[in-house]
Amino acid sequence: MASPIIDASGIVKDYGAVRALHGVSLQIGTGEFVALVGPSGCGKTTLLKILAGFEEPTGGRLEIQGRDMRGVPAASRPTRMVFQKLALFPHKTVAENIGFSLKLQKVGKAEAGGRIRAMLDLMHLKPEYLERYPAQLSGGEQQRVALARALVSQPGVLLLDEPMSALDAKLKKSLQAELKKLHREIGTSFVLVTHDLEEAMMLADRICVMRGGHVVQVGTPADIYYRPANMFVAGFIGETNFLPVTATAAGGGMEVASPLVAAGQTIIAPEHVSPSLSAKGTALLVRPETIRFLKGDAAPGEWLLDGQVEEYFIKGASTQYRIRVRGLDAAVIMDLPGSIVLPAVVGEAVRIGFDPVQAFLLSE
Amino acid sequence: MRIERKSWNDPVLVATVAPLALVMVAFFVVPLLMTVVLTFQTTQFYRLVWTWDLKVWTEVFSKPHYWTIMIRTVTMALICVVLTVLIAFPAAYALATRLKTFKTQIQILIIFAFLTDAVLKTFGWILILDKNGVANWLLMHAGFPPEMLNLLFTPAGTMIGMVYNLVAYPMFTIYLSLVRIDRDLVLAAYDAGASRIRTFFEVTLPLSRPGLYSGAVLVFVLSLGAFLEPKVLGGGTSPLASELIRQSFETRVNWPLGAALTVVLIAIGALMLAACAAFALRRTSTTERPA
Repeated sequence: MASPIIDASGIVKDYGAVRALHGVSLQIGTGEFVALVGPSGCGKTTLLKILAGFEEPTGGRLEIQGRDMRGVPAASRPTRMVFQKLALFPHKTVAENIGFSLKLQKVGKAEAGGRIRAMLDLMHLKPEYLERYPAQLSGGEQQRVALARALVSQPGVLLLDEPMSALDAKLKKSLQAELKKLHREIGTSFVLVTHDLEEAMMLADRICVMRGGHVVQVGTPADIYYRPANMFVAGFIGETNFLPVTATAAGGGMEVASPLVAAGQTIIAPEHVSPSLSAKGTALLVRPETIRFLKGDAAPGEWLLDGQVEEYFIKGASTQYRIRVRGLDAAVIMDLPGSIVLPAVVGEAVRIGFDPVQAFLLSE
Repeated sequence: MRIERKSWNDPVLVATVAPLALVMVAFFVVPLLMTVVLTFQTTQFYRLVWTWDLKVWTEVFSKPHYWTIMIRTVTMALICVVLTVLIAFPAAYALATRLKTFKTQIQILIIFAFLTDAVLKTFGWILILDKNGVANWLLMHAGFPPEMLNLLFTPAGTMIGMVYNLVAYPMFTIYLSLVRIDRDLVLAAYDAGASRIRTFFEVTLPLSRPGLYSGAVLVFVLSLGAFLEPKVLGGGTSPLASELIRQSFETRVNWPLGAALTVVLIAIGALMLAACAAFALRRTSTTERPA
């Protein structure tokens, strides 16, 4: 990274006896869109609050735009926050809300008016909204006002604390698309906190997956999906399959075998598989979309499983099957392209197969 | 809040409201009307004479003495409002934001003090304010000249008692307004670049207005009728309206005069509250508008 706008190293945060962050390090580039993802209590919001200056870290070092942020209050930082519940001032009009930071900076009336109107245009809000109060706007409009309020002071970094969690699914989708477009247009660094990895994959350039106050993996959406660091990351996005396997060092890679498939049907783990695996707690991640029904013979090298259709769900573009396989606690999930003809019905005995080269070897 | 126009045609609504409406009419509206009717009567040899006469009203409007007391009552009430709010706001603010650990204990103490009989508490102040009382004793031992304070049986003594007895009302109304303010609004103001003081005046204070106004109204109304404090701590040297009304009824046995003074006091209070309400509504109505 040429010029990180945020450089956090070894950030520790204690709340009394509870440690919320265990030495988190993260660099965010200028103009980058980074998402902090994890289940609730993973420390992502705490990290965001430390970036904003609402919380002081117990230990570690935080630099924003090359400046040490120790003791720098939120008011003096080049960051602006969009709050989860938006936190628009209910007693101020839209114009007063957006222009609040400009008023504090003593920006002239004419210039402030111009910048507020420019923000309104950017957010596709109608000019007559300026004199309205937040309570008179719809949820999506309030969302845009909150974004306008944060961006009007031209911050170096925009911090977003799950700003779309309260919206209905359809509005959420359209605002996500707008947020991505907005980021491309203005080139400000965005840091988005979300518990929705799908949302993070859609929007972010890089994703930082957190758990229990630790960073588990930082990478591009493709890295997170195709090269997950462990079962936690792999399981965090949607439903997926973990098959029990044993891995032993062999030749240049790993020899992988599974009790589920016929003896001797082993594979040598491909290059992209993490080499630092221990045999203990090893699992093979098989994405649902890589599994297919086998009507005839298997392709060379393919792994086969015999089972019974437990249930299927028609989702339109795709059809999901759940296959009960002997020796496996959870049903195997497979996503097939949607089709007007169902390949199998409930209760039918089926043979499924996948290419282990497309699977990933993971540890706990 | 929206009021349905057709509510009179709703039998269930009318039936549920009827008992309360009847009680209010019987014990509030009717006595008030009786008081007004009483002002047009006269007295002869300490007996009520049933007539329609403007004699009492001519007396009320011709004697500046009554109006001096009325103006003093309103002035004292306004000063009391200012003092109680000035004391209550910081206390409520501390309770809502800083003293969270001991919040419950402090609230219980305030409620105990608030629920203790006002007569008892007011007489207690005599022990403190008396020339040989606790206040002067403490001041003397702190190196001040002896008998420095002379507050008992002065308007200042009355004011101390009134403020003490009424300060809990605005403390609770303001507290309730303050705890309802979303903490994120304060953070949002900091985030926009506001200092702590600026945030207080731009966010916290405007959003605590409902509690501020309702507390002020309570104190104003209650101190207009202050009776105990001017008597016990003011010593009758500068009586307030309630004492004047009591004298008219009891000492002078002039019921029509007492009734007229009561009507005047209620009218002054109602007019001032209406003016304040108009002012407050003009400033807050816009934020309460529904979406």
